[in-house]
Amino acid sequence: MKTFEEKWTAWVDGQLAGRELAEFEDSLPDKAAAEAEKADAMKLRQLLKQELGARTLENEDFFSYQLRQMIAQESSDLARDRRVKSGTWWTIPRLLWTSTASLAVFLLCTMLVMRDRHPAEESQYLTQILNARVDPVVSPNATVSIFEVKQDRVTVLWTEGLQSLPADYAAK
Amino acid sequence: MQTEATPAQADVSELDLVRRCQAGDTEAFDELVTRYRTRVFSMIYNMVHSEQDAWDLAQDSFFKAWKSIQRFRGQSSFYTWIYRIVMNVTIDWLRKKHVKGGGTEFDDAIQLKHVDPASKTVPKTEALPFEMMQRGEIRARIEKAIAQLSPEHRAVILMKEIEGMQYNEIAEALGCSIGTVMSRLFYARKKLQNLLRDVYENI
Repeated sequence: MKTFEEKWTAWVDGQLAGRELAEFEDSLPDKAAAEAEKADAMKLRQLLKQELGARTLENEDFFSYQLRQMIAQESSDLARDRRVKSGTWWTIPRLLWTSTASLAVFLLCTMLVMRDRHPAEESQYLTQILNARVDPVVSPNATVSIFEVKQDRVTVLWTEGLQSLPADYAAK
Repeated sequence: MQTEATPAQADVSELDLVRRCQAGDTEAFDELVTRYRTRVFSMIYNMVHSEQDAWDLAQDSFFKAWKSIQRFRGQSSFYTWIYRIVMNVTIDWLRKKHVKGGGTEFDDAIQLKHVDPASKTVPKTEALPFEMMQRGEIRARIEKAIAQLSPEHRAVILMKEIEGMQYNEIAEALGCSIGTVMSRLFYARKKLQNLLRDVYENI
């Protein structure tokens, strides 16, 4: 269902025909005034066409030249962006991948180091050495020195003046 | 000076030109620009009433058309399609500039600036100074009247009365219904008739 405005516009533009035209014209309260309005609309169209329709674009060629420059600039920018995008190794996925791998390596190294901080129990030989006592009666001038380098996991037992080795001192 | 192609010439290879543009052929786009630049510029000028702004907006419109040419499906003519871009760009610009239909933009200074007695509507060799002045005044009156319309009403009346576009083409260009176009046309005409009656009655 067309509104009055739509019908009026169609009527002014000669777009109404047949029954629709007859019905619209019958519905007009003052047909003469409506015809005058229509004639006014035609004059307005004529005026607008006459005064506004003839404007030309000065420097047409420069207009096109400037536009070509803009397009060329945009194309080269796009090409450069594409090159930069494909040329750099540090894309976001790669950065993420590298970060994850680095973190994994770090955690692995940390675990190994931490495990070394808690060495296994002392060996039975070291226990035997540390618990050994020299019998002062058998070897009155005996001296026993122990040198230990923990980071190298080495212990040296240095004895002097022993007459004989204690029976329980032999390594089993 | 290159002139625009007639509609018949335009129809022959327009789609072909568009296809070439879509393949990245800038020369084909240049051809399309040559065909439509004056009409586009003229349309925008009648909306914004400033040569420089019209120039910039026309360039912006064509540049946007180039960037989005891949989206042109050929369901309408290239002209209607580019008009849609032109209208979006221009109406957007007008809204941003807060140029509203209250007639406030036209103080005396602006009005004088817009009077262009030497514009090409008057052949310089034939027109007398008085006639040129008169034409300039008439033109200024028309521009002032059009400036009192909202951007959407301006667009509709100019596309219909100057460009001679059909309702459906205008609707497509503005992204609205045909009924809305007709309704806007009704009010735009009424307003201009009231504002310019003395002008067209005395010509």
